[in-house]
Amino acid sequence: MISKSVKVVNENGLHMRLAGIFAGEMSKFKSNTVLLVRNNRINAKSIMHIIASCVKGGTEITIECSGADEQEALARAVELIESGFGE
Amino acid sequence: MLKGIGASDGYGIGKAVVIDEKKPEYISSKAEDAEKEIRRFEKAVEIFRNTTQKKADVIRREAGAYHAKILEGHMMMLADPFMQDEIRGMIKTGVCAEEAVDSACDMFVSMFSRVDDELTRQRAADVDDIRLRLLRILTGVSDAGLDRITENTVLVMKNLTPSLITGIVKGKVAGIVTECGGKYSHAAILARALEIPVVSGVRDICSVVSDGIMLAVDGFRGECIAEPSDAEIAFYTEKRKVCCEGKEQLNSFRSKETFTLDGMKVKLSGNAGIPQDIYEVRKYGGEGIGLYRTEFLFMNTDGIPSEEEQFEIYKNAAELMDGREVMIRTFDISAEKNISCSRLIKEKNPELGFRAVRYLLEHEEIYRIQLRALLRASAYGNIKIIVPFVTCPDEIRRVKAIIEELKCELDASGVRYDKNIRTGVMIETPAAGIAADLLARESDFFSIGTNDLIQYIMAADRDNAAVAYLYSPYHPAVLRMIKHIVDVGRKNGLDVGLCGEAAADTLLIPVFISFGIKEFSVNASAILNVRQEIGRWTKVQAENLCRQIFSCETEREVYDLLKKNARDNI
Repeated sequence: MISKSVKVVNENGLHMRLAGIFAGEMSKFKSNTVLLVRNNRINAKSIMHIIASCVKGGTEITIECSGADEQEALARAVELIESGFGE
Repeated sequence: MLKGIGASDGYGIGKAVVIDEKKPEYISSKAEDAEKEIRRFEKAVEIFRNTTQKKADVIRREAGAYHAKILEGHMMMLADPFMQDEIRGMIKTGVCAEEAVDSACDMFVSMFSRVDDELTRQRAADVDDIRLRLLRILTGVSDAGLDRITENTVLVMKNLTPSLITGIVKGKVAGIVTECGGKYSHAAILARALEIPVVSGVRDICSVVSDGIMLAVDGFRGECIAEPSDAEIAFYTEKRKVCCEGKEQLNSFRSKETFTLDGMKVKLSGNAGIPQDIYEVRKYGGEGIGLYRTEFLFMNTDGIPSEEEQFEIYKNAAELMDGREVMIRTFDISAEKNISCSRLIKEKNPELGFRAVRYLLEHEEIYRIQLRALLRASAYGNIKIIVPFVTCPDEIRRVKAIIEELKCELDASGVRYDKNIRTGVMIETPAAGIAADLLARESDFFSIGTNDLIQYIMAADRDNAAVAYLYSPYHPAVLRMIKHIVDVGRKNGLDVGLCGEAAADTLLIPVFISFGIKEFSVNASAILNVRQEIGRWTKVQAENLCRQIFSCETEREVYDLLKKNARDNI
């Protein structure tokens, strides 16, 4: 299992559209990905989970990946969040 | 006149079609064959995906890829492993597909509704939308009566859902009126993108209006008129025409600053009532936040919002506006309306009662939390403090004394804040207006709150229809009062800003320019209109008109004269 902390840069946080992109991208990997938000563990492959956890802009979150392709999954997750999903 | 909230700008007139959005009924039966039931569910999901994809394609063409994502989001929500497991799991226990979908959606709706964030709560409406469509597919009930739409229809419904709005053929629907919903629902966002005027939150509209009745919709003011007169129809038809023509031209004002025709700089800011409003103000090129109401902080809590929570919100506003002014009005609360944890005091006349600064000075512990949060946040941008509902100088003196104490506290603990933070009075009572010279000695600026000021000068409750004719900014008494306040402010070297609905009334712009008002704060959606209107007047032209206005004796005369001289005849 590997992990990294990142800050959500998008003003409106991980709202529905971004949650959708994120869950979609994470689903492409075999590894399980979990977001640690405040004290909650969020399934990163679930758009519903991400929306319900209400990750606002500026929040510090930790991404945890475990599985065969955990390096690639974590790199992609960090890239998405840190680039603000290219917005 | 039916009042609501303007959720999407524009004017529309047409015949009402009342849409019934009742959840299709189903008999909750035990499914004999769970495998078969799961196949039935999968089939419904497939149909859902196909129809939603088609709608998304339409939206992509009409409004762009960004908005199509809302519907694609619905597909993702339904495909979500968490959601799928929930539904499939229930079917496996012998529940029929309808009931499984229904209760899984219930679970997500309550999960989203509990969250302390307006954007997330609005997603509950998306889940409801998904549920409705899935149940329709499963039970074979057809769509909610969109087939009744003909040319110039005004849709009337309880809730506007994204899928419903995308089922609408553009050009046929002249407007939409709903009982529930807000500005930030996905449906409202789509309506704005498709430029369909929407008025939300009109109480009982579905029972008041029936099919075939004429409705005029004003999405700017959040109003609609049932069975308008011929004159009203002509009025709104013309407004609609000019509005459509003006829209393109108006867009060119987005990135501009505000000047009068003869080049005097005016600061045109936007109002905010919840944090999301700040994004709207930025979108329309607001030059600051001229009035940030803070009562929303009490909406989702039973107690007093904490200093940390408030600090984050004020800081965020300051940072978002990036050096531009953010004028934050301290709580306009009363025990009855906002604070459920304190003992209830029933007041006979709450509007004249124990509220705002009166309440806060008696409950200093609440005020200190807010003022401390404001001071701390002031280190991150350009924050100013507005004290509401002031009637006499000792109130503002006491507030400033508390602020000075808090500054010492912060100094002692080495916390940063803006040492020159300015504190001003919201002039909204006749007492404050008449004795403005006394308040000027204690204030750094004035902000004229026209909504309350009109109500108190005219002694007319704005929500009481019987005296509504008195509640008008065109009354000579109101205009004289505003002029007096501006004159006193200027004489004492104070900046005087204007907020409230009257500030966005384009008819009154020349009057305010002639008074010498250089700061306006209006709702985000009105910014471009007001900016354009300010640019249509020179000081001299405005003064000439204003001289005539001050010789008028009645509200009607003032209105007629302004109307006659209006630059935009929208």
